[in-house]
Amino acid sequence: MRLVNAELFKLRSTSLWWIMGIVLLPLYAASVLANWAQYANTNAGDVSDPDQAEAVRAALEPINVATSMYTSGQYFGILILLLLAAIIVTSEFFHLTATTTFLVTPRRESVILAKFGAAVLVGVLLWLLTTVLNLIFVPPIMSNLDLGSQLGEPAVWRAIGLNLLAFVLWAVLGVGLGVLIRSQLAATLLLGIVYVVGTPAVGLIFFLLTRYVADWFDKLQVLFPPNASQLMISGTDLPGNPPRWVGAVVLIGYAVITGVIGTLITKRRDIS
Amino acid sequence: MSDDIVVDHLTKQYKKLRAVDDLSFSVRSSRVTGFLGPNGAGKTTTLRMLLGLVTPTAGNATIGGQKYTELPDPIRHVGAVLEASSAHRGRTGRNHLRMICRAAGLPDSRADEVLALVGLTPAANRKFKGFSLGMKQRLGIAAAMLGDPRVLILDEPANGLDPEGIHWMRDLLKAFAAEGRTVLVSSHLLGEMQLLADDVVIVAAGKLIRQGPVDEVLGSMGAAQVKVRTPQPAELTTALASLDGVTVAPQADGSLLISGTGAAAVGHAAFTASVELHELASERGDLEQVFLQLTAGMAGIR
Ligand SMILES: Nc1ncnc2c1ncn2[C@@H]1O[C@H](COP(=O)(O)OP(=O)(O)OP(=O)(O)O)[C@@H](O)[C@H]1O
Ligand SMILES: [Mg+2]
Repeated sequence: MRLVNAELFKLRSTSLWWIMGIVLLPLYAASVLANWAQYANTNAGDVSDPDQAEAVRAALEPINVATSMYTSGQYFGILILLLLAAIIVTSEFFHLTATTTFLVTPRRESVILAKFGAAVLVGVLLWLLTTVLNLIFVPPIMSNLDLGSQLGEPAVWRAIGLNLLAFVLWAVLGVGLGVLIRSQLAATLLLGIVYVVGTPAVGLIFFLLTRYVADWFDKLQVLFPPNASQLMISGTDLPGNPPRWVGAVVLIGYAVITGVIGTLITKRRDIS
Repeated sequence: MSDDIVVDHLTKQYKKLRAVDDLSFSVRSSRVTGFLGPNGAGKTTTLRMLLGLVTPTAGNATIGGQKYTELPDPIRHVGAVLEASSAHRGRTGRNHLRMICRAAGLPDSRADEVLALVGLTPAANRKFKGFSLGMKQRLGIAAAMLGDPRVLILDEPANGLDPEGIHWMRDLLKAFAAEGRTVLVSSHLLGEMQLLADDVVIVAAGKLIRQGPVDEVLGSMGAAQVKVRTPQPAELTTALASLDGVTVAPQADGSLLISGTGAAAVGHAAFTASVELHELASERGDLEQVFLQLTAGMAGIR
């Protein structure tokens, strides 16, 4: 526990955390507004393809709008969390503090575990922040959409809970990927770009594969982590998507794999 | 428990290079041991293996009979200064030390105590990127002192210190050893080492060249010399030529440096040859000379 405390202190004692905070707030506000605008302007009748119209109609059900609105900020919150979690590891090598860290705690697995712990706590904190903001700002938006607050619905609370799980899993994933990539620049650029550009790019690739190779490729989209976490928090099972638990399983799988491999690598690596 | 450091058949093979090659030596407590060697001799690699940061290819190293990685609270036992520039640029000096305190379970107040010890109190709240080289070095020493360790291991701590800083560090390390603790310090500054070290371990190309008390190492190399000033250098040189193993080297300033014998023998030879002497002095051997002799042909970047 004292190592987790030390890791949090490391994070607090540089300017990184508040820079990330300053970046996150406008992004959060933008995503709430974007969600709002999207639901205010979409209409299932506009879509011609019957399959898609069905999907849009389902997405526009009050309960699904609610789960999406009450988890606003997930996309950017997790992006920031992913970068912070990776930097918790890479900055040790970037700033050559790994020597000091491993001199104080030669049992390296304890250090990595503490970093997982610290990143998870940061994730919980970010979740708490976005959720509190959502609970403040979303009810008026919901009534503007004539949908009512929907806070009585268990599905909404389940989505908020699963959103927490997503934050926790991404925190683990971020630390694991930080260990694997190690270079600070490469890690932040790679993770940032893959996370942001990856969803549409992966969407396109899978669209082409589905279209020209085989239908079942469509089901594999969930293997891309951001898609998995999106799926996990959707309100009800949406038509054409795998069940929610698949998203959770995929994320847990990635988190465990990167976590274990990252720890093993750190244990063996020479620090020089 | 003893605080001796024992390095036992330590080897580190990098891809093509044997950075440390079957190296064995020991370091005793209550003494300052200088760890000397040309660039690339493997000093840093050895110290990093000793501290569990680099995994040896073969052999092992212990401190007080235990591997560093097996010490329960290592920084309360061993303090180490490896690179001067190993702190987060955006963190203040005090927070750098506090971070270590937190991880090691030491009270935050230790950070301020060691800052005062190394004279960094005025810069405590300055960010690391604003530190000069000497200040970084002092911060490293401060970090090593946090746990009030019995053993100090320093890799070129004098780098970047001003003359006053070097003097300060010399006193600090000597006082440390005088309290019965163990000090192992690597350096290139041989003049400084001669003033500081009680023992030396000399390595080159990853191998042990010589270890022992400074005086013994100097003596064994015939490093003790006698300096003579005389108006009759030729006569004295002839007189000394009859003595076994004595060499005479004329110096640029007109004096003669005589090695291989003592001042008494030189004085006697001058007296019997009726050579007039203006100066006769024994000079302690020069570590630098001996070092260059011992590592001749083994220096050079590998
Ligand atoms: N991680 C590494 N990979 C490959 N070679 C390395 C590595 N670390 C050190 N070396 C090599 O091992 C040799 C010994 O290096 P080391 O840093 O231990 O020398 P040193 O005695 O500390 O030298 P200096 O006096 O210059 O500090 C060098 O030739 C160096 O190039
Ligand atoms: Mg070195």
